[in-house]
Amino acid sequence: MKGARKRNLIYADPLPITFSPIENRFAVTVLGIFGISPFRVLNPRCEGTFDPATRSVWITNRRDSVILWKCGFFGKGNLSRSEPSWLARQSRIGTATGRLTSEEVTAKRRAERKQFKLDRARAIAAAAAEAEAAFAEGRIIPAEETRPSIPSAATWKPSEFTRNIAVPSSERCQEAGDLGAELSDDMEHLQLTLAEAFFLAWALDCLTIYHPKRPEPMTLDEIWTAFQTAHLPLHLGSSLSQTHVLRPDNPFLINYVFLHHYRSLGWVVKSGVKFCVDYLLYKRGPVFHHAEFAMVLIPVYEDPDDAESSPFTISNVEPFTWQWLSTINRVNSQVQKTLVLCYVTIPALSRLSVAELSSPSCFERYVIREIIIRRFVPARMRD
Amino acid sequence: MDDTLEQPNPFSNSSAREEEDEQGSSGDEDGGLDWTKLPQGNSTARPIIPKRGEKDFEPAQGGGSGLQRHNLERARAAMFDAIRSTRAISSKSVSYAVWYPDLARAHVTVARGVHFTSMGHSVQRPSSRSSSSSGKPQKRLELLPEEALYLVEKGALFCWKASREGEGGDVEWDSASQGAPMSVQQAYAEMIGKQDLTLDRYLAFAYLRRLGYIVTRAKSPSPAYPVPAAYPISQKRSTASIFSRVLAALCSPFRRFLSWLIQPSTTWWRPLVHRRWLHHNMDYPSIFRTLRFFPSGHSVPLQSQPPRSIFYHLHKPNSPYRKTMPPPPDFAIVVVNARTTPIPTLAELTCMYEGLPVVPPPVPRKRRPSFEKQVPGPKYSPSQRARSEFSTIPPDWVVVAFPVQLLVVPRQMQHQSRLTLSWHSDKEISPSSSLLWMWAPVSFFRFGQGAFEEWPMA
Repeated sequence: MKGARKRNLIYADPLPITFSPIENRFAVTVLGIFGISPFRVLNPRCEGTFDPATRSVWITNRRDSVILWKCGFFGKGNLSRSEPSWLARQSRIGTATGRLTSEEVTAKRRAERKQFKLDRARAIAAAAAEAEAAFAEGRIIPAEETRPSIPSAATWKPSEFTRNIAVPSSERCQEAGDLGAELSDDMEHLQLTLAEAFFLAWALDCLTIYHPKRPEPMTLDEIWTAFQTAHLPLHLGSSLSQTHVLRPDNPFLINYVFLHHYRSLGWVVKSGVKFCVDYLLYKRGPVFHHAEFAMVLIPVYEDPDDAESSPFTISNVEPFTWQWLSTINRVNSQVQKTLVLCYVTIPALSRLSVAELSSPSCFERYVIREIIIRRFVPARMRD
Repeated sequence: MDDTLEQPNPFSNSSAREEEDEQGSSGDEDGGLDWTKLPQGNSTARPIIPKRGEKDFEPAQGGGSGLQRHNLERARAAMFDAIRSTRAISSKSVSYAVWYPDLARAHVTVARGVHFTSMGHSVQRPSSRSSSSSGKPQKRLELLPEEALYLVEKGALFCWKASREGEGGDVEWDSASQGAPMSVQQAYAEMIGKQDLTLDRYLAFAYLRRLGYIVTRAKSPSPAYPVPAAYPISQKRSTASIFSRVLAALCSPFRRFLSWLIQPSTTWWRPLVHRRWLHHNMDYPSIFRTLRFFPSGHSVPLQSQPPRSIFYHLHKPNSPYRKTMPPPPDFAIVVVNARTTPIPTLAELTCMYEGLPVVPPPVPRKRRPSFEKQVPGPKYSPSQRARSEFSTIPPDWVVVAFPVQLLVVPRQMQHQSRLTLSWHSDKEISPSSSLLWMWAPVSFFRFGQGAFEEWPMA
């Protein structure tokens, strides 16, 4: 319970933009009369560097990566599973104190589960041996009688031995302790996908993106072109003029439309590659709940000719086979997620002017529709 | 994100299954049956629905033990006992029909049993018997090919083939003079392919029928076929009364002017503008609202394409069903072959949703309290509730996907308690001695329209 309250405090803000109230009580009343908000907008003005090779924006500043993670769960630590926790893990190695990082929690759980499986296999083998012996004597032990002796996931408790598994041995401690002193500075950076970076830079205006080569901030115009060029196949990269670069089916645009739409609805959008899908939607954030929806992003061309002339290889344009749909649905119902096919309609190239394509105004033309997939088992849904 | 400590546990199948029940997504119908649960040896006893047995966790070292071999032998013997019995139906409960190939209908001359409460429809046919002088039309009960085939296969119907084409309308059926009895094989050969019935569609029909669902054609094959009542007009669209609409129309120019006056001007390069006067984007809900500008949802028109049409309507088994006035169906079904077709495209889906109503999201289901005690911490219950609120699934239509391979399964396996089949042998008339049911692995998917845009999280 205490943990939950702490979480609610740490991750209270859903976006990096925060509001600070004016302290003077009298001023608040007066402002209220004139319809003026008693809050001030605090913009963290984070900074990052565009990296075209990895198609990401790097946040190397510790303060900024903490802000972007805590307020809206943007990005991913390049040495961590999600939250940039590399430094915390390194400094913990020597001391074995403090809160476990999520990676360590997982490692511990896996060790416990392994032990549970061993225990269970042993108990089952013992029960089978007993039944076999009884059979040799001419008795048959019904399966129900052996059940209590076999541990189940609900009854099994980790023993002292397994509980200590996660703690490294003393030898390793010492070694790591020496290392820890050297690695006091953070080797990790936060990686933002291009869509996330553009959302922060353009929609929320709280991220300044620096040029990959020169130490100067990029303008939104430059970002718009650069992020789309980054998705071009390498051999086309620089040889094309701007009009060829800007196409409505650029993967950056499609992904951005998706991310922005669900972000604007208040969902936290994360990669779903672990579950065979494109994105996962979290309510409030990964620290609060498991992801609820597994989203497959399916681009739909308004004009089929555009698909043929496209220089990009865009996945999911061809409809799935039933086998593949069953596969991803199985995977996701196993982890209690609802599979959603999210269709993003790409406007026809002929309908868009160059002016529209060279600014975010083309976003108005994309349409998003969801189809929710569930397996229907007639034997179970009779009433 | 990672799965929890909960493992598939071979020793508490019942609770695990209950949990999956909520998801409706387990696949235990793919498994085998435990034949030992069938009544031993006697073919006259009424069979009960067999339950699955339990698997040993892992094979014993050094091959099967004496106990395992004993168990296997017992199960195998039970299976053979179950199959060995002669299949028979009672002459008192069997119905009779005449199949007219040119009409693609089977005329039921003797209707017995509960099947006819939800199958068959009455048609007026001119009494065209050459000997009878009256050409007065008479009502008679007719079955669609799939209905007739299903009943023949079940052993509930004995079908004759009309020897003279176009014959009909006579009340007294005289088998000797007018036709030949049909075997099940012959029924399959003759009825599949008639009236748009394909083998895939028939398998879907038979599978759902066996489970007790009421399956009707979505598109009436003839004017006499009963048409279901229209869906009630969805509430969402009818809420705006005429008065409020007129008021809205009157106010809109004024409101537009006001918003022009108040709203900070936005350019596409700067979508989010904070303004302290009138609290523009000064809190999270309003920021999220401002950022919501993508057109979304299924009401946005789409350039449409030719459809894959809905073939069957489905009513749940316990729904109050009247044959003459069918209620609006619970599901619409499209039958496709999973090996040869991909999943429908968005355009096809949109076409199929047309005419189906938008139903409000389902009420969250309560979990069984007894079950909750057994499992420590029902981890997903809050999210599950939210999900069911969320998925505005409704115009439920189901795609039935068939892999091509057919498993051949002896028919005794397929008993459902609901579909009563009598095993008395006062007078045996088995239509064919080696009657087999074809059984295709059928998979159903429910495609529901999402409405995320109507349920913002913030």
